[in-house]
Amino acid sequence: MQKTSGRLFLAPLSALLLASFALAPLAEARGGGGGGGGHQGGRGGGRDVQVNNSQRDVRATNVRNTSVNNVNVNRNVNVDVDRRGGGWNDNYHPVATAAAVTATVAVTAAVVGSVVRTVPANCAPYNYNGVVYQQCGSTWYQPQYVGSDVQYVVVNPPR
Amino acid sequence: MRQHPLVLGLLALSLAAPGIGAEPAPPATSQLAGNAVDPASIQALRKMGAYLQTLQRFQVRTELSSETVLEDGQKLQQNASAEVQVQRPNKLRARMWSARAERELIYQDRSATLYTPALKYYATAEVADTIGGMIDQLEARYGVQVPLSDLFLWGTDAAPLDRIESAMNAGQDLIGPDLCDHYAFRQGKVDWQIWIRTGESPLPRKLVITNRTDEARPQSVSYLAWNLKPGFKDTIFKFTPPRDAQAIGIRPLNTK
Repeated sequence: MQKTSGRLFLAPLSALLLASFALAPLAEARGGGGGGGGHQGGRGGGRDVQVNNSQRDVRATNVRNTSVNNVNVNRNVNVDVDRRGGGWNDNYHPVATAAAVTATVAVTAAVVGSVVRTVPANCAPYNYNGVVYQQCGSTWYQPQYVGSDVQYVVVNPPR
Repeated sequence: MRQHPLVLGLLALSLAAPGIGAEPAPPATSQLAGNAVDPASIQALRKMGAYLQTLQRFQVRTELSSETVLEDGQKLQQNASAEVQVQRPNKLRARMWSARAERELIYQDRSATLYTPALKYYATAEVADTIGGMIDQLEARYGVQVPLSDLFLWGTDAAPLDRIESAMNAGQDLIGPDLCDHYAFRQGKVDWQIWIRTGESPLPRKLVITNRTDEARPQSVSYLAWNLKPGFKDTIFKFTPPRDAQAIGIRPLNTK
């Protein structure tokens, strides 16, 4: 946290110039490359703000599965809640939950076809035939949008 | 509709001054309590919808607070923001951001692109060449919700007013500098309230939605700020992938 603050303090101009996305691990469950996993802070949409949730109480992520935020009247009134709750701001995917899902998948040897919200920190991006992959050890993921979130499907190695 | 907003505003202030408890009980001849639909409130929605449909080019920004319910019923409130730039009938750009995520949606003609700046992934889908059609298809096919989509549906068949089970005028309020009429509605398992600017440009300035399916009644509160003479150029509606950005797929709903 302090280190991050220092960097921001030293480089206000670059933050203004939008170069700042590369500064730190991201709240968005970043694939490979930068790594850092989901436990650290990250960048929100503020563009020049560092977000750090490391002090957040674990209880704050224990969300009711029926909890739905309606943010558009006409898109929610008759919506089938089971299909996909929430509105455009439905991006509150607790970090702890995402990490737990990832860990479970790793333990069970990553069943092909399973979907996770984040990939481990040790992944490397890989392009093959114009398709984007993340290789994490012997497990391969293909990113895709599910709703407006990027998630990762476990796939067979692209060879 | 309101010819003398100042006078009414002063009246409202004088009524509020003694405190709510001091107000006299309503006369017995007032409306039946319960689910009556006040026609004037429905008419106000209709008028606002018709006005929104006349806006050809605008920019609107919202600040949203919405609630998450924890297992034990305690509620947490989160913030998010969105800015939407519009040129009817078939151009829209939206940016949605919070501390947790950022998305962009760039739409023009028959092409809609979702972009996640933090990951530099984007996906493009072919959609209808009207904003309303695009909103419908993104949600029905992909589960992608467009922020402030109500703004494009009020005043159309996609926002049927005959499903409203209760409608009332809740008085007047100031939202920022704007005097607004405050209306409250019940519809299915949703209660909602809207604050519409009085006068000749009835813009929605605040929206509150309460979800009654959960006993904790999570609520979202949106404030809307309008710019009807925006300075953007049409080039903003064309998505040009940033350097290093990569195209990925978008999964259709109902496929396993």
